[in-house]
Order: sequence, then structure tokens, then C-alpha cells
Amino acid sequence: MVPPEYYLLLSAAVFCIGLFGILTRRNALLFLMSVELMLNAANINLVAFSYVWGNITGQTFGLFTMALAAAEVAVGIGIILVLYRSFDGVDVTDATTMRW
Amino acid sequence: MTPDALALQTETVAAWTALAPAILLGLTGLALLGVDTLWPDDPSNAVLAGVAAAGSILSFAVTGWFLVAGTGQASTGGAIALYGDALVVDGMSLFFTLIFTVVTAMVVVAAYDYLDDHSHRAEFYSLTLFAATGMAVMATANSLATVFISLELASLPSYALVAFLKTDRGSVEAGLKYFLIGAVSSAVLAFGISLVYAVTGSLVLGDVAAAIGTPEMAGVLGLGVLMILGGFAFKTASVPFHFWAPEAYEGAPAPISAFLSSASKAAGFAVAFRVFVQAFPLEAVPAGVDWVIAFQVLAVVTMTLGNFAAATQENVKRMLAYSSIGHAGYALIGLAALTAGGPNGDVLGASMAHLLVYGFMNTGAFLFIALVEHWGVGRTFEDYNGLASTAPIAAVAMTVFMFSLAGLPPFGGFLSKYVLFYSAIEAGFWWLAAVGAVNSALSLFYYSRVVKAMWIETPVADFEIESRPVGLYTAVLFAGVGTLLLLPGFGPVIETAQTVAATLF
Repeated sequence: MVPPEYYLLLSAAVFCIGLFGILTRRNALLFLMSVELMLNAANINLVAFSYVWGNITGQTFGLFTMALAAAEVAVGIGIILVLYRSFDGVDVTDATTMRW
Repeated sequence: MTPDALALQTETVAAWTALAPAILLGLTGLALLGVDTLWPDDPSNAVLAGVAAAGSILSFAVTGWFLVAGTGQASTGGAIALYGDALVVDGMSLFFTLIFTVVTAMVVVAAYDYLDDHSHRAEFYSLTLFAATGMAVMATANSLATVFISLELASLPSYALVAFLKTDRGSVEAGLKYFLIGAVSSAVLAFGISLVYAVTGSLVLGDVAAAIGTPEMAGVLGLGVLMILGGFAFKTASVPFHFWAPEAYEGAPAPISAFLSSASKAAGFAVAFRVFVQAFPLEAVPAGVDWVIAFQVLAVVTMTLGNFAAATQENVKRMLAYSSIGHAGYALIGLAALTAGGPNGDVLGASMAHLLVYGFMNTGAFLFIALVEHWGVGRTFEDYNGLASTAPIAAVAMTVFMFSLAGLPPFGGFLSKYVLFYSAIEAGFWWLAAVGAVNSALSLFYYSRVVKAMWIETPVADFEIESRPVGLYTAVLFAGVGTLLLLPGFGPVIETAQTVAATLF
């Protein structure tokens, strides 16, 4: 059996890749993909430790996380669409009508 | 059926009805979509606003009745746990639901005029009600799973509502920034929850608390707690996830700014209080996971940053946005001044009472901005010059909100701040109270600028205020009367808040 610490390392790596994407990408769609990576890092933990602890709480919550991620993307794509119409692009740094 | 089974069944029905406030809000949201489907061409704004207001007022009335009748409180047998402890209805959840429902009612009544010449009104009202449902569930969430789901239920409609003015670049930008920071912070929250699950093997708050005493991986637990704290900081607009707040409040339709800065913030505090007090009790957490210090730093930084930034603003709505961050800092004292075995119920209850008073005065202030936007008056302090001569009643209400937010004596905000700082001193954190008092004094500077502009300065341009919008006036005056009545009525409020807060420990 793979020691549980390894799962933590894997999920931390995936989370950091997502975080790196958020900090460096300016395209709103790539930003959304990076957020998905971070959420899936949480899912790796939940499923792995569901196995370690021998209960299905983590797996069930993992399913909820996936459904919520999908809902979040649905709302997000809608907002990115109006961003595209208003600012002629999906670069998140273009929208600066207000002081940041 | 045996008598035992029958008794069990009636008991189940009775327990389930304790969620009535949240269910009513959700049903009202669905009913609004139903009205929109039945009259797709021209759903009357009055009907939609009426249904939304009736639903939220009904929910408010039921919550108030439960709170008075003692549902889920010590007098009737304690907290009602539902669905395997995933949700719990107790005095604290009812107290917070009271805040959400009254703010929702004021916001939808005000939105009646604000949305006069907009399309997609039914969506606006129903999204508001769905977000309020999420908040009501947040107050009852007793498992990290329901915390996450209800937080998302409150957040997702809010993103759409902030970006509601699709052709307005400010609104779209505000919606984008709110969404981006919200998405990141919810991912951080989910990861934090997964780490806590990794260490404890459970998501129910009570079981987490039982399992954290002897952890094998205290470092992982500490990181998880810190990340959960980050997720809540976003919802309450506290440092370090506060960057969205000035943008979102400035760009959003003003009733939505009112909704987010009052109800959504209170909802964030509701989950933060319950999760940190019940899942990570100070007596049980390992030495390295002392989250009170994190909250002390956050409280001081949040109130200082919010108040200093507010003092430098020229735009009134943006000033209120930063003042809202400052008030999040005051409310954080409720968690920052906790000690193992101290008078914790007092300070937590004082923070809850402050959030209730804040729900009235801050909602009222933002709705006054909505009224001014409705008239087409500009957004800066100068544009408000001489407003009192043309709209004296609204200006009186705004003056009440400003002085109450600053914490001046004859208004509700004075007592709630006073009791909050006093209870922090009682708990031994005099320096938290001192920082709060200094910030409060500073805040008087920028709040009084609004009052000075309205009453003393001479107008730079002629106002053409033709309309007296009924809904906006009703909501603003209701908030004003509420702020005033909370001065004599503060005794029962603080008593209730401190009693229900004490049962959490």
C-alpha cells in the first residue's frame, strides 16, 4: 500500500501547479482551469484518505466538490462571456475601469 | 405502527420544520421563477417584488417566532441536530437568519424601484432569494461538507448578481473580480477541508473536535485550519482576501452592494464562529494550531486597513466599501478575543449583536446610495453637496446611518461597539479594544464628510429630483427606524446573542 503521506505530496503538488497558473496567467479561461486543478487537488486528498480511514465520507464529499466545480464554471463562463462583450477579450487585466 | 415508531415519526417531522426559514426562502425563489414562467412576456415588477418581499418577511417572522419560542435553545431541550448532525438549528443559527432575512426584505423592496427599467427582474429577485437560502443554511451548517456547499450556494448567485448590469463595464468588471477571487478562495477552502479530513477522518464538526486532540500530523492540520480561515476571510471581506470587496461593492447594483456587505458578511461570520468554536475548540487543538493568534492579527490588520483606506476615498460608495472591511475587523474581535475557559460567550455574542445592528445601518447606507443613483446624482462627496435641501427626509436617514456606523452615542451602532470593546477588555484583550477605539475615532472623519456635504456645503449644481421612489424610501426609512430602535432595544438583543453564543462552548 502506498503510504498516505505520498498522496498529500501529490495533492500539494497539483494544488501548487494550480496556484502558479492563477498567479501567472492573464487569460480568464486558463484561470478557470487552474482553479479546477486546485479543486481536484482537494479531491485527491478526499478520495485517498477516504480509503485510509475506511469510511466513504471523503468520497461522497468529493462528488459534491465536482458538482459544485461544474456549477462554478457555469456561472464563471457566463461572466467571462459578458467580459468578452464589454472589453473585447478575456484578458483579466484589461478590466480596469475602477482602481484596483 | 407501534407507538414508539409513531412518536419517532412525529418527532422527525417536528425536527425537520426547524429549517422552515431556509425552506421558505428557497421556495420563494422557486415561486419567483414560476411567476416568470407563467407570464414570460411581462412579469409585473410589483408582483415579483411583492412575492420576494412577502417570502423574506414571512421567513423573518418565522425565525423571530422560533427565537422567541425557544426552538433549538436551552429552554426546549437544546440544539436540534438534523441529517446525521450535518445541520443544526440552535439559537445562533436563528439569530443570524434573522439578520439575513431582514436584510433580504429591505433589499428586495428597494430593488423594486432600482429595477424599474431593467429586464430579467425575476432572475434578480430569485437569485437574491437563493443566495439568502444559502446564507440561512450556512448559519445551520454543522459539518465541513455542508459548510462548503452552503457557502457555494450563497456565493454563486452573488457572482451573477454583481455582474447583473450586463452592459455596464463597471458591473462586469466587479463581477469578474468577485468571481475570480471567490473561485480561488473556495478552492483554498476545499483544500483546507480535505487536509482536516486527512488528519481527522471526519467532516462533522463535533467528530473533528474529538479527533484533533492527538493528531499524528499536527502540521497538516494547522495548514488545513489556516486554509479554512482563508476561505472564511473571503466571505467576510477580511484581509487577506478583501481585494474583491471595494471593486464588487462599487461596481455592483447598489441594492446588491447592500446585500453582500451586510448579509453575506454576516453569513461568513456565522460559519466562521461555528466551525472554529465547535470543530477546533481551544481546549483541544494541538499547541501549534493556535488559530486565535491568526484572528488577532487579522482583526487588527483588517480594521486598520479598512479605515485608513476609507479615509482616502473620494467616491462615497467606495468609502462605504472600505468601511465595510473595517467593520469586518471589529466583528473579528469576536473570535480574536477567545481564551480557553474565558467569558467567551460574552465577546462572541457582542460580535453577533454588532453584526445585527450593522445589518440595519450598513444596508440603509448602501440603499441611500441606490436612491442617489436612482436620481442620477454623481458618486463623489462633492456631488452630495446640498442634498439635504432637496431630499431632507432621506438625508436625515443617511445622517443616522453615518453617525451610527461611526459609533456616536445616540444611535444603535454606539451600544453595539461599546459592548463589543467592553467584552474584549473583560476577556483580557484591552489592546484589541484600544485598536478598535482608535479606528472608530478615525472613522468619524470620513463618515462626517458625507454629513457635512449633505447639510453644510452649498450645492455645486442644481438637482433635478422629480421622483420619490416608494420602495427605496420605505427600505431606507425602515433601516433608519431600525437603527434608532436598536438603541433602546439593544438590551434584549445583546442578552439573546450572548445567551445563544454561550451555548456553543
